[in-house]
Amino acid sequence: MRKNAFWIVYVMLLLGQLLISNYFTFTPYITLSILPVMVLCISTSVSTPATMIIAFLTGLAVDWLSEGVLGLNAIALVPVAYIRKPVIQFIFGNSLSARKEDFTVQSNGQLSVMVAILAVQAVFLAIYIWVDGAGMRPFWFNVARFFASLAAGLLVSVFTLTPLASDNRR
Amino acid sequence: MKRQQFVTRLVSFAVFIILEAASLCLITNNSSLQRIWVSKAGHSFMGTVWGASQGIRNYFSLSETNKQLSQENYELRRELDKANVQLRQMNADSAVVSSRPGFEMIPAEVVKISRNKQHNYLILNKGYADGIKENSGVVARGGVIGIVDAISEHHCFAFSFQNSDVSISARIGSEGSSGLLIWDGIHNAGAILKELPLQSKYSPGDTVYTSGHSLLFPPDIPLGIAGKAKVVNGATNQVSVSLFQDFSAIRYVTVVHNDAFDEIEEFME
Repeated sequence: MRKNAFWIVYVMLLLGQLLISNYFTFTPYITLSILPVMVLCISTSVSTPATMIIAFLTGLAVDWLSEGVLGLNAIALVPVAYIRKPVIQFIFGNSLSARKEDFTVQSNGQLSVMVAILAVQAVFLAIYIWVDGAGMRPFWFNVARFFASLAAGLLVSVFTLTPLASDNRR
Repeated sequence: MKRQQFVTRLVSFAVFIILEAASLCLITNNSSLQRIWVSKAGHSFMGTVWGASQGIRNYFSLSETNKQLSQENYELRRELDKANVQLRQMNADSAVVSSRPGFEMIPAEVVKISRNKQHNYLILNKGYADGIKENSGVVARGGVIGIVDAISEHHCFAFSFQNSDVSISARIGSEGSSGLLIWDGIHNAGAILKELPLQSKYSPGDTVYTSGHSLLFPPDIPLGIAGKAKVVNGATNQVSVSLFQDFSAIRYVTVVHNDAFDEIEEFME
């Protein structure tokens, strides 16, 4: 039941991301995305290949239903799914994976969770901005866009932690 | 357990590559900007890979290339040696061969030469079988060498210019007066141009040429440089000449024969 609740929240957040992608377009410097934190919070009991496929489909859905380049979110989100387990292991330690438990804000602390979000957001944005720019935009613009989007994404992701990474998930 | 982990990682990596490739295909099919960018990146990558592989192939084929170059070098050296020999022979003749109409030219090699006597001589490796005729001159790049005196089938004997009995007709300057040029009997490259008219004009440093008045030698062969002059018996001038020809370094010569010699001799008789 709790697992099903997670996936319902996941789909709702996906809809939220669609709204962001379609309406949050007032500055080219900020690419607001909660997709990395959504993929990060998928249970570690789901295998990496399965997580990558979920991430791919999620990215594709956002690309298809918003006015983006088809495949752009997918290409940036699949690596997030690929590095998800190593990131969790590195930040939260081996004991978590040994107990086959998922991280939560309550048990692992807000700071550690923020660091994990920062890592996956950074990977996602680096690939997204690089591919989106296609070598046409100046380096300084890409750097500014990266840091602005990272800060904004981190802030928005914090609000998604309550439904995604709380104790209710267990 | 470890094997299972390895397989899991391998599958994960394969899925990752497949999904990324699929994403890239989608992007390039749906955005011309990204398509151009990916195409450029692909070309650049292929260029680098091809360049590197070509470099590696070239490096490993260097051994074969070196062998080929070595063989080619050997062949070229042989050709060069042959050409050098021919060139030396031709150079010995070149001063006169190409621009002496009316004279027959036969290249020859000196097989013997005497230089430390008052009556020096030289023997050449060409005889009447090679077309050598009597009353022929012997010249080289540096000027007149001698006069053919006797001929056998394959050799001929010539009086050297360094012979007190030999004199040739020479002119000082391109249009100056003519006189008789003889060896001074002392120096290897020393000669005397005598019997020049008193009114003749010349300067030290002028070039001395064959005059062409003799039937033996073509005109305008450079012989040497005029030096100091003195009046002899109040009647003629005598000029010292420094010869161009180094008689100690003669090897290849040309025997010259005036085609009209017999006709002119007959006429004179």
